[in-house]
Amino acid sequence: MASTGIVAALQAALAAENAAIFGYGVAGAHLAGSSQAAAERDWTAHNQARDALAAMISARGVVPTAAQAYYQLPFRVRDAPSAIRLAAYLEDGVTRAYLGLVAVSDQRLRRFGAMAMQDAARRAASWRGSTQAFPGMSPPAS
Amino acid sequence: MLLASAAALPLLLGAAGCRSSDVFTGPDPLAGRPPLGHDVLTLQAVIAAEENMIDLYQRAIGGDSGTTRARTLRSLLAQHQQHLVQLRARLIVPPGASPSPSPASPSPRASTVSITRLRAAERASAADLVRRLATTPPALAQLLASIAASDATHATALGG
Repeated sequence: MASTGIVAALQAALAAENAAIFGYGVAGAHLAGSSQAAAERDWTAHNQARDALAAMISARGVVPTAAQAYYQLPFRVRDAPSAIRLAAYLEDGVTRAYLGLVAVSDQRLRRFGAMAMQDAARRAASWRGSTQAFPGMSPPAS
Repeated sequence: MLLASAAALPLLLGAAGCRSSDVFTGPDPLAGRPPLGHDVLTLQAVIAAEENMIDLYQRAIGGDSGTTRARTLRSLLAQHQQHLVQLRARLIVPPGASPSPSPASPSPRASTVSITRLRAAERASAADLVRRLATTPPALAQLLASIAASDATHATALGG
């Protein structure tokens, strides 16, 4: 994958991180106690990842795509269970986005993407309460 | 002489300062099977590791069928079995070659496996798969990264 492919993959990961930051803001408002603390911890992790990705994109002479003012949520969030489902949904999206980085030609970026996938998959499993066989990938046809 | 017999050809090439390998490029049909490609070797190694992981889980579950621990382990085992199916589906072995190295056969009286050992195996597997990403084609790298992420969540589910 050429340099343009690398930047596109980085921008896609950045977009997913920005969506997660927005989504955790919504989810956190419906959580309390340890769940809210976990949401805050994960929100902070996504902010840090966003900053890291933006720096990587800028280092390639490209302007990082700015976050949107508003993101359409996949379903209505109005209580703790739906907030937890949203958190898992957001982490799934982030995992998928980093899967794109694993396919680029830069070996360090591949590793970076793979490790970020592990972080997001762990958070998704924590919110969902179960693990998945293929985080970030569409369910394989059997 | 316009035509040379097959028997005389090496002599003619030698006289011209050529070795037969300079003229006939490509694999030597008399040299045996070509070596397996790097992707095949990677897949074979990952498949063997996955088979060993499945054996570890089966030994950890043992005769334990009804506990919460056994249910958790069976769920993780099922995901490893899915990994194995997908890995094997991508393995195309040249005719005549061994499909993959056989995993070590578990002894019927092999000792049971602790959760601690499973957790360590999951972590080691995730790390090994990430190490392999640098030299694999993009599609295989994505599958290995996804399996590594799954293994990482397993380690966490096992208390790590």
